Amino acid sequence: MSTPATLKDKAILEVDKLEVSYHRVVTAIQGVTLEVRRGQIVALLGNNGAGKTTTLRAISGFLGIDDARVSEGTVRFCGKDIANRFPHEVAGMGIVLVPERDKVFENLTVQENLEANSPRQSSTLSRMQEAVYAYFPLLARLRGRQAGYLSGGERQMLAIGAALMCGPELLLVDELSLGLAPIIVEELAERLRAIRDELGLSILLVEQNAHVALEIADYGYIIENGRIVMDGDRERLTGHQDIQEFYLGAGGSGRRNYRDVKQYRRSRRWYG
Amino acid sequence: MQTLINILVLASIYALISCGYVLIYRVSRVLNLAHGEFMMLGAYGLLATASSFGAHPFAAVGVASVMALLVGVAIYFVLMRHMTGESVLAAVLCTIAVGILLRGLITLTWGAQQHYPMEQLGWVNSSISVFGDARISAASLGLIIATAVCYSGLFLFLRYTRWGIQMRAAGQNPLLAAQRGIRLNGIYALAWGLATFTGGIAGMLIACDSGLQTTIVTIGLKAFPATLVGGLDSLLGALVGSLIIGTAEVLLINYVDPLLSDVAPFFILLVMLIFRPWGLFGTREEIDRV
Repeated sequence: MSTPATLKDKAILEVDKLEVSYHRVVTAIQGVTLEVRRGQIVALLGNNGAGKTTTLRAISGFLGIDDARVSEGTVRFCGKDIANRFPHEVAGMGIVLVPERDKVFENLTVQENLEANSPRQSSTLSRMQEAVYAYFPLLARLRGRQAGYLSGGERQMLAIGAALMCGPELLLVDELSLGLAPIIVEELAERLRAIRDELGLSILLVEQNAHVALEIADYGYIIENGRIVMDGDRERLTGHQDIQEFYLGAGGSGRRNYRDVKQYRRSRRWYG
Repeated sequence: MQTLINILVLASIYALISCGYVLIYRVSRVLNLAHGEFMMLGAYGLLATASSFGAHPFAAVGVASVMALLVGVAIYFVLMRHMTGESVLAAVLCTIAVGILLRGLITLTWGAQQHYPMEQLGWVNSSISVFGDARISAASLGLIIATAVCYSGLFLFLRYTRWGIQMRAAGQNPLLAAQRGIRLNGIYALAWGLATFTGGIAGMLIACDSGLQTTIVTIGLKAFPATLVGGLDSLLGALVGSLIIGTAEVLLINYVDPLLSDVAPFFILLVMLIFRPWGLFGTREEIDRV
């Protein structure tokens, strides 16, 4: 890594040359290296099937049913190796995932969804609950409603709120914007940034929607076919021509040669 | 009047046994086909404690109940924990094996003859008259009360306590539960413990009422249709299903032929499976998993 040693001390999550295989044969990601520093919002961008969700799942831990494991590389949280731990252990250490789908317990009410979590310190429970209802006033009004009847946006709020109840230091958010109206995504993104500022969390945000992600992220990684192909701070990524073209949908000026389009593929960095 | 009492007693027996099926299925999606044997084990556990704590009947019952609870927890940690992640069918077959093993061990230890734990405890199963001419035995009254207490306890536990909420959460989405810091092993073990505990209580009371023999296991088998009729994942369903099966059985014995009593539950189950396979209160999409 080119990062100077002094800055690296502040890293809360370091993923190094991560490889994940499913069913002991299928390699889903090959050599993902990324880093989240304390208080940072980091975006992981990529297309369908690029390995974004697998990366998050590898950090947050697999269950036996998944039949998946980290086959190579390390995941370090606050300097401790956490690869291949059980999800509830990882959650106990302070990494909590907001999954892409099935993110709430549909048979429980909103209130019960918040109460079901095992927080790291049980003393903070009622205080945290008030905080969650303050961040998402809509949830307070729906607290008796069964979560299965919530809309997509309400579910996302509840999922983030329930994750906060666990008292995380690092929040992993899988697809904040998936299936939601742009105005709600905008609101959620704003809210996430406010939560980060107030609680001093770090957030790793996985997104297909680069617009949203680069709006609130401090740093970003681009993943393709299970490999990180580019990284940089927001300015660098939004300024990059290929990112603009492929991820932000800004059509370049006039027709471009295929060879030029593929430019960053040739210059990408390989960490595998 | 006597018929009504009989129905109530039989329904309580089924209901107290079925809540064990429901608890385990609802939390871990595993059908515990050894539940009848666990009920039997609870009854024989009482027999064992009755002979060693003969002077203190309440201590004997208490120790036997705690033992029933621990048996469930132990079975989970020794055996069923390793079946998570395997197919559900494998886990179900595993419970069948446990059932056969338990039945064998019990016959080996206590023999096949009839025992009377009530007498060993020094109690008399006196007959109490209620509503004029109807009579009910003390143990049967105990069964009805135990069922009422267990069900209200379970309802309150699942609705209001943190462990109960976590139990419902883990049943709905185990992965998400784990990601939210819930210890699945602890929750599953608790469900197993509660199931063998309620089953054990049922076994003890049945044994007190009508003597203890290895054939008691068929009562557990007959409670299974009651559970299915009500819907495998619903406690309320188990209660209603037990009432339906109990009523049908008592009426058949009284007005048609006592020999039909063993057939009735399964006949009703058959009708139910044709018209509404997920049971009265069950969740519809659940059924394809069994």
